[in-house]
Amino acid sequence: MKRIQCCVRLLLVATVTLLLTGCWSSKEIEDLGLIVGTSLDLETGDVSSEEQQDARYANRQLLTITNQFVTSETTVSGTKEGALPEKAYKNVSETGDAVLPTLRNMLLKVDKRSFAEHSKVIIIGEELASTINLQQTLDFFLRELEIRPSGLLFIAQDQASQALETNEPTKIPAFQLVEMMEGHERTTKILPPMTVAKLEGKLYSDSSFLLQNVSTENGEVKFAGAAIIEGKTKKLRGFLNESDLEGIAWMSGDAKGGLVKGFDEESGAPIVYEIISAKSKIIPHVKGDQISFTIKIQSEGRIAEHWVLSDKAFDNQFLKKAEKVFEKEIERLVRKALDKTQHEFQTDVSGFGNKLRIDYPKVWQKRKKEWDQTFSEVPITCEVKVSIKDYGTSGD
Amino acid sequence: MNSSMKDKITTSQAVVIIINYILATGILTLPRASVEKVKTPDVWISVFLGGVVAMIAGVIIVKLSQQYPDKTFYQYNQDIIGKWLGWFISACVIAYFFTISAFEVRIMAEVTSLFLLEGTPTWAIILPFLWVGLYLISGGINTIARLFEIIFPITFVIFLLVAFLSLGIFEIDNLRPVLGLGVVPMLKGIKTATLAFLGPEIMLLLVAFMYPSDKSKAVKVVLAGIAIPLLFYVITVVMVIGALSIEGVLTRTWPTIELMRSFEIPGLIFERFESFLLVIWIMQIFATFTITYYAATLGLAQLFKKNMHPFLYGLLPIIYIIAMTPKNINDLFTFGDKIGHAALILFGVVPITLLLISKLKGKKA
Amino acid sequence: MWEKVISYMPHWQVFLQGFLAFFIPYLIYKLFHVFLFVNKSNGKIEMKENSEQVEMVHIPIQKTLEQFTGDFNKDLLQMRKELGHNWDIHFREFQIGNTDNRAAIVFLKGLCDKELIDKHILKSLMNGHTEKSSVLRGHELQQSIRNEILPVSELLEESKVMKAVGKVLTGSTVLIVDGIQNVFIIGTAHGKTRNLEEPVSEAMVRGPRVGFTEKLSVNTSLLRQHGENRNLSIIEMEVGERTKKELVLAYIDEIVQPNLVKEVKERIETIHLDDVAESGYIEQLIEDDYLSPFSQVQSTERPDRVIAALLEGRVAILLDGTPFALIVPVTFNMLLQSPEDYYERWLSSSLIRLLRYFAAGISLFGPSLYIAFVSFHQGLIPTKLALSMMATRQGVPFPALIEALIMEVAIEILREAGLRLPKPIGPTMGIVGGLVIGEAAVQAGIVSPIMVIVVALTAISSFAIPQYNAGITLRMLRFVAMFSAALFGLYGIILFFLFLCSHLVKLKSFGVSYLSPTIPYRAGDWKDFMVRMPLKMMKHRPRLLKPKDSVRKGE
Repeated sequence: MKRIQCCVRLLLVATVTLLLTGCWSSKEIEDLGLIVGTSLDLETGDVSSEEQQDARYANRQLLTITNQFVTSETTVSGTKEGALPEKAYKNVSETGDAVLPTLRNMLLKVDKRSFAEHSKVIIIGEELASTINLQQTLDFFLRELEIRPSGLLFIAQDQASQALETNEPTKIPAFQLVEMMEGHERTTKILPPMTVAKLEGKLYSDSSFLLQNVSTENGEVKFAGAAIIEGKTKKLRGFLNESDLEGIAWMSGDAKGGLVKGFDEESGAPIVYEIISAKSKIIPHVKGDQISFTIKIQSEGRIAEHWVLSDKAFDNQFLKKAEKVFEKEIERLVRKALDKTQHEFQTDVSGFGNKLRIDYPKVWQKRKKEWDQTFSEVPITCEVKVSIKDYGTSGD
Repeated sequence: MNSSMKDKITTSQAVVIIINYILATGILTLPRASVEKVKTPDVWISVFLGGVVAMIAGVIIVKLSQQYPDKTFYQYNQDIIGKWLGWFISACVIAYFFTISAFEVRIMAEVTSLFLLEGTPTWAIILPFLWVGLYLISGGINTIARLFEIIFPITFVIFLLVAFLSLGIFEIDNLRPVLGLGVVPMLKGIKTATLAFLGPEIMLLLVAFMYPSDKSKAVKVVLAGIAIPLLFYVITVVMVIGALSIEGVLTRTWPTIELMRSFEIPGLIFERFESFLLVIWIMQIFATFTITYYAATLGLAQLFKKNMHPFLYGLLPIIYIIAMTPKNINDLFTFGDKIGHAALILFGVVPITLLLISKLKGKKA
Repeated sequence: MWEKVISYMPHWQVFLQGFLAFFIPYLIYKLFHVFLFVNKSNGKIEMKENSEQVEMVHIPIQKTLEQFTGDFNKDLLQMRKELGHNWDIHFREFQIGNTDNRAAIVFLKGLCDKELIDKHILKSLMNGHTEKSSVLRGHELQQSIRNEILPVSELLEESKVMKAVGKVLTGSTVLIVDGIQNVFIIGTAHGKTRNLEEPVSEAMVRGPRVGFTEKLSVNTSLLRQHGENRNLSIIEMEVGERTKKELVLAYIDEIVQPNLVKEVKERIETIHLDDVAESGYIEQLIEDDYLSPFSQVQSTERPDRVIAALLEGRVAILLDGTPFALIVPVTFNMLLQSPEDYYERWLSSSLIRLLRYFAAGISLFGPSLYIAFVSFHQGLIPTKLALSMMATRQGVPFPALIEALIMEVAIEILREAGLRLPKPIGPTMGIVGGLVIGEAAVQAGIVSPIMVIVVALTAISSFAIPQYNAGITLRMLRFVAMFSAALFGLYGIILFFLFLCSHLVKLKSFGVSYLSPTIPYRAGDWKDFMVRMPLKMMKHRPRLLKPKDSVRKGE
């Protein structure tokens, strides 16, 4: 009997110690400050703190990181009815020369435990992107467990921290950006979302790519074209405007929905074409040392609006004519975008290299290193085929 | 409970044991390990061929075991190559089994503390795991087989579900071209891929536990047992590379979890699916851990012709200490590779030699 | 080389932890081992004591176990000595017919059918007899009473005094006639029974509205009433050392596995108890593993459930004095089935059955998942949900575990109290309690609204399980799951699940794996598992019971 008692006692002690030391990793949800968005800028102003001074001596560039926090207090005040509208978020900025130490310094300012699993966007300022290698800047975000690879990446014109501000206090700007990104389905002027996971592959394969550009005007965030990141240097090379983006979307087959505006040749009145489906094929040709590409674009859609009074959509002739108009317009867009990327920026951002890799892997192995250079010189032809399926409820 | 073999398992249970044994660490690390070697998108072919190699090895092992249908490897190898050499090989196999179970435990602890329990000490993660395993194993092979039968369908369904959900970020271009740079790089990956199929060796013991009428089906068992993990692995590799691209996979420590974290599907109750993957993965590790632990205990019991219980408890601290030995994650991966190499010798070379010897002996007699 | 090896030597703490890894389970093992061992030896001793007792008791019994003498006075005296001191025992002396044959009846007031005694026994014996009987003596009189005089169906002869005494005490009437060696025992037992009512613990929308009662003969008759079945065997056994009680085993001869019947009989025979108050005693004494939280015997009040079980090849145990019949063996999956599943059409009943499995899942893991997500894995829940959880938990002073415990315990108290409350105020109190706990606790900021939802959902879920005791088991295990979730989050839940499964795969109920037909895989039995296939497809009985005759007749 005594032995049993002894055993029981020992067991009890063991359990109690286990329970007492337990709950190592637990942290209650209301004690967290959810980081929903992060922006990175190059610090240009004066520096004050000692640590920052150290960095200045070492000739290091400084980063300003702004985290957008949503905490239990802000969510409550954001949703409470009747009360004075307060901000549903809280932006905290800190400056330093590497990402994590700077983030940790935020502990000095924030009462909540910061928690980045719900981080949705990372916005990089224009200046930072064009001075520091993106791979270095983002290293922490690729390594850190809490940052989910499903987060989206943006480039901001001017100050990135501005993109995390809004005039409407009940809204959370980071979420707004994510929701705006869903418009990609309905227009060709927004890039397909670039997640951290996709970015990683791009960074390590040394290929150039586009990032969605965000500009702020009067406290309102707006998507404005795209930023070109050059594969070799991994720095910002330049910007494409919205109509360039349309051309890129047509080329790479990313156009999921959107409009094309053409003008009737006779009357000069606008006709608007809405995309139902769009496909594009980039076909590489290799003859000896000569590389060339053909882009074949096929699209189906409907006439969404037309101002041409003389013609009726019931008339097949008119549809034919309209198709021609749109084909021309699309080709013009593509040409313009190609011209910009091939000659102005000399970077391949719409996947020509990738197609070459798939169809001519051996050629690609040879040309991989100098691809952007090669790309700027290859001839590209473009074939567009548009077919109009219907014209809505009015045949007029 | 003792080392006698009163417990019997059915054919389907044998298949499930092999499947659950094979599916383990590979789900999470195979994409990276094989891409490192191959460096082209043809990894899935390597994985497929790796599975075929494992099948061949499995068939040899089964053929060997079928020569002595009522004995386990530990018992019959002494009949073939004499007492001392047989004893030595048994000891090696036992050491292999408990080392691999220690390895699985440690990998589990690493991943868990990384993705689920940041800050919880490793011992606190490992100990309860060991104890639950102990509780299960004390019921014998039949109990183990039954538990495996529960976790296998769960794994199967959830795995297919998450794989299907990740289709959203799948890009076929990442998997092309097929054999663009010839077959050579693809061949380089076969060895790595084969290491992910460690598991058919359990047939050295399982054949003895099968119902006498089913023993002739053992070859089919091993083939089916490898075919399903093969399917799992190919799906995993294809999905991971398709979503993250070759370059993206290379730098990821745990590419498959990365894949699950790379997409969110709003609108469902769950937006995020890596928890599902981790749940089935931990169950699979548990399965691998218990079966190898059992195999080692059974070996010791049969080697010393004793009851299993003392070995069952005695092995626990050994497994724990081995699991804690690798100093960091790189050490751990090297450790895993070494176990794999040991397996290639122990279960690639040894069985075929034994099979030849026993055939020769049989002819003489 | 050596230095490299040294560098891989683990820290001494690792060795300590390794030792703990071995020591703690070993300790638990030893503990149970010692515990079980003590128990077993106790059992043996008990049995020995029992047998001695039996012998000791045997001697006095043999003394009093005297035969009736046939001498009326002596016999009557004997009966009076045994029973006369009881207030409710009546002795009625009279003379048979017109003769001077003295006779007496002994009966127990209240347990006998008085009308039967007055109208048929006394009247027949006292009146309307020819002189013929006056001549008769001894054996002939006995024959005459048996064959001509007494118009009752249940008539036995008994020679032993003690046996007769026992019969009187259970409601039979003993007739002592001068000059006849044996006494007559007339079945007049007419115990107080209640009407057949709908079973309270297992209500159903569709199906017979009949439940078992406390009277064994009524219960067996309910089984017989179900339909003619020559193969339905009802075997009598007796339990209880001091208070003997009747117990019957019911099974269908052609179907049941003989070993199962044998095993059940053997286990029942090992019961040595003063009194078996309810079938729960039997349940606990014949189950396979008394350390398991799961009930390994099914109890039911419904005759249709018993009949269905018998037709699957199971064995039912009915005890006198309780409306709860036991059915063995049972599997976990049977506890989640209801007879209604077979009465409704297959699609709807399959859906309902799936719903029950889902409810069982929620009731087991609901709060623990909440704890794991709220205090460990906030990253795994959708962002918007995380935001609303954050907002609702704002200001709650307790960690999720304590919060969940407060609510769970409150709900359990409410449930328990609801059972005890008098019927008229029960619902009122339930509503008041629910309101106070739900609404006011949230208002007071002690718990978060989401927690209330989780707790209410799990509580409701656990009552969706047709078997009350299975629901309790799940509720009990829920607390274990909550603690493991509080320690290790999702990992703890997985470990708990694995542990639970490890236990369940080890558990057997009368030789049948508790988790059948989930495992081992038997595709044939899956027709009646999580879904119920159309009746036309279920041509075979469940194979897990290894029935003798596996095909359901019909077609």
